Amino acid sequence: MNPGYEILEHPADVGIEARGPSLADAFAQAAEGLMSLILDPAHVAQRESRRIDLAASDTEQLLVRWLSEVLYLFDGCGFAASRFEVRLPAPASLAATVYGEIFSLSRHTVRTDVKAVTYHLLNIEQGPDECVVRVYLDI
Amino acid sequence: MPGAFRSVDPYRHILPMTYKSGMRIEGMVYADAELLQHIESDLTCEQIANVATLPGMVGRSLAMPDAHQGYGFCIGGVAAADLQDGVVSAGGVGFDINCGVRLLAADADPGDVRDRLEPLLSQLFRDIPCGTGKKGALDLGLRELNGVLREGARWAVLRAYGREEDLSRIEECGCLPGGDPELVSVRAKERGRTQLGTLGSGNHFIEIQYVSDIYDAPVAAAFGVRQDQIVVLIHSGSRGLGHQVCTDYLDLMHDGMKRYRISVVDRQLACVPVGSTEGRQYLAAMAAAANFAFANRQMMTHWIREVFRRVIGDAGLHVVYDVCHNIAKREEHLVDMSRKTVLVHRKGATRAFPKGHPALPSDLRDVGQPVLIPGSMGTASYILVGTERAMKETFGSTCHGAGRAKSRTRARAGISADTLLQDMARRGVLVRGQSKAGLTEEQPDAYKDVHRVVEVVHATGIARKVAKLIPLAVMKG
Repeated sequence: MNPGYEILEHPADVGIEARGPSLADAFAQAAEGLMSLILDPAHVAQRESRRIDLAASDTEQLLVRWLSEVLYLFDGCGFAASRFEVRLPAPASLAATVYGEIFSLSRHTVRTDVKAVTYHLLNIEQGPDECVVRVYLDI
Repeated sequence: MPGAFRSVDPYRHILPMTYKSGMRIEGMVYADAELLQHIESDLTCEQIANVATLPGMVGRSLAMPDAHQGYGFCIGGVAAADLQDGVVSAGGVGFDINCGVRLLAADADPGDVRDRLEPLLSQLFRDIPCGTGKKGALDLGLRELNGVLREGARWAVLRAYGREEDLSRIEECGCLPGGDPELVSVRAKERGRTQLGTLGSGNHFIEIQYVSDIYDAPVAAAFGVRQDQIVVLIHSGSRGLGHQVCTDYLDLMHDGMKRYRISVVDRQLACVPVGSTEGRQYLAAMAAAANFAFANRQMMTHWIREVFRRVIGDAGLHVVYDVCHNIAKREEHLVDMSRKTVLVHRKGATRAFPKGHPALPSDLRDVGQPVLIPGSMGTASYILVGTERAMKETFGSTCHGAGRAKSRTRARAGISADTLLQDMARRGVLVRGQSKAGLTEEQPDAYKDVHRVVEVVHATGIARKVAKLIPLAVMKG
């Protein structure tokens, strides 16, 4: 099993399928996938970090809230994240440190605007050796 | 799914309540045979049916000829809810609240601009920020932003972005009443604060076009449009502010559904009763976001006028009309033979009110509401007019554009940006975009045939053709 993410086709927008040995890893990979849609991650240095703590009523809502938070960090706070350390200390609860830097048009190669994270065809599979999450984004 | 529909005529196809358990009303798709095939090939049918399961929906769950799979509601979907028994769904409006289109008509002909398209586009790119990460020229303080959310386009006009007479030619006069900045989250405001006066990206654009055909001369004249006139079409929405409002309220509605004991077949259809606290809060926040979009298009109007003035001289550029594509409105319609106020969700659909409707400005009341249909990049756009038939059948609604036919991945794989630019140049269209990937994703083949879509709405009578517009230059985010 190779942890990572894959971009999925959609008639109008785009999806991500992310996998990891644990659910927390899959969440981290999904965030990498999201940011890769917005910017080329190769040019995002890890100069600073931000802390994110979230709770939700279930894992699906947690995933949407997590990715929405990463998106808000970029679009609302101008912070481009490229590495994600995620822990899920309790069911539907997340604690993460994200590493990146302040967004700069001159330093970073932009790809596309992501408007929002959706629940459309959202899926979370948790197996003994691998977790896979699938989520679609409105672009 | 093929075979799901029962066709009542070549363009009207019913999705029966037997299609899916839980449907409370029928569905109806407006499409010709080819467009119907597209519709049957993705999840659009399922989404029409899912919307029909929502509490308190009246009439039919509708899909326009440009319909395609969306989230929860299909894009090109229209559905109306009873105010007492029905629900409001943030997904029924979409993330880009008041994504919409504005048309400006210039005192100019193609000969006045043909040699000046490059400098016009260059200056537009300099003056109107577009694309990912670009900030607007204004960095609004909270009080000013709250003013935008309350007043919409009027906020901009009062600050000399445009003219008083622009306002009557905007849906809702550029301000949806009830916009409450207190119900817009801090993070939505953080996203929107630096984005006022920006175009956005994806399928947002500014196009310089000319009027190639007039189909209805008296109506065109009333709209202020003539043969061979240069026009400018703006397609843009509420930017990050609207996207965040929808995200916030979808979350709130998920939690609210438990309280109201509503369950939905698709989580993206999260909804609450129209009259509930959450429902009223959403509609007030949605109105605020809609007003942000109206102000946004108003500011871009002002800058477009300045660009034209600088490059070719004063070109007038009066507003023909400005329509919303993603919105929910309280409107009076005929339901089961009696008039009642319902909440109409339009997600990728356009209001199309007929002549005589009180919502129209006095100078359009004798002809009807302009309906603006942008085609895909480099193809034609259309001006239509609203009709009584739309009021009877579609809650006064019609299509909004061409609708996507190809995923963005396949569109990018199909053609390089350089080839696309050469193709466009051969068609006589100058294109500039912020990103090459963005350009290829928006190539004409990625969309359905706008001519087909417009022919269907014209043939069914839910809007009527007035004019055709051919592009000369495109600015894409």
